[in-house]
Amino acid sequence: MMAYDERRILEMLHEDDISRRRAFEAIVNNFSEQLYWQIRHMVLSHDDANDILQNTFIKAWVNLDSFMGYSRISTWLYRIAVNETLTFLNRQKVTVPIETDDEGDLSIAERLESDPYFDGDLTERQLQEAIATLPDKQRMVFNMKYFNEMKYEEISEVLGTSVGALKASFHIAVKKIEEYFNNID
Amino acid sequence: MEKERLYKIDEHQARRPFSVPEGYFDNLTQEIMAALPEQESIYSTKITVTPWMRIRPYLYAAAAFAGIFFCIKAAVGINARNNTTDVAQVEETTIYSDEYIDSFLETAMIDDYTMYYTLVDAN
Repeated sequence: MMAYDERRILEMLHEDDISRRRAFEAIVNNFSEQLYWQIRHMVLSHDDANDILQNTFIKAWVNLDSFMGYSRISTWLYRIAVNETLTFLNRQKVTVPIETDDEGDLSIAERLESDPYFDGDLTERQLQEAIATLPDKQRMVFNMKYFNEMKYEEISEVLGTSVGALKASFHIAVKKIEEYFNNID
Repeated sequence: MEKERLYKIDEHQARRPFSVPEGYFDNLTQEIMAALPEQESIYSTKITVTPWMRIRPYLYAAAAFAGIFFCIKAAVGINARNNTTDVAQVEETTIYSDEYIDSFLETAMIDDYTMYYTLVDAN
């Protein structure tokens, strides 16, 4: 497989079908894992994350001609992944009734406990529960910053939100999560 | 007094508590590539070039040059005509300057009455 060279890849995307496919393969190879983790932190289930990741790359491939190279490839892919994830979550809210009680969203805890691909301890499970209480976009910002260690500037490009607003959003998310822990202790 | 924070985000190192099926990332690229639909790039679409398509640019260029040539020729023709008129007027002005007319009138032995009728007849 060819090495990842963004300039060369952008050139190859405008060449014949074989070059185009080879360039896209290099893109998939370079970004699939980091995109997977971004999606996985939002939807929690491996199967859902895998489906959304596949859809993300299919959308990118089908709309390849509309990508003019004005942004970095990673930014473009993240935007598609974010949209696909939010669409999935919105659809899930409509189709899957969420079981809740006064102390929080128990379905998240139950799902994580029985998930063979979740290997966190009690505190990490509680952290996931706390994160799940955040609004979708705030959760996205928190995950990008905390788990994926993205810079505010990068998140700003992907979400189209100012750095100042992102910092405020992250700060509020941290407060809410700490508050969640205070209430369960 | 503010309640002491029992859990502080910045005191915990972010760790992913998730895992994936064994070998998942090893085969991921191949799986994604296999799932992509076939598509033809707009950049690689083959176009059959006919003889007409080959000579068309030259014909368009020739037509454009011919058009420019006739435009220039027409413009030059109009200017030449305008310039002739201007030259004639300039010449008349030069020939019949005020000094010339004054000196002519002084020596021509024409009285005002004759001059008046000459000018009226000329108009």
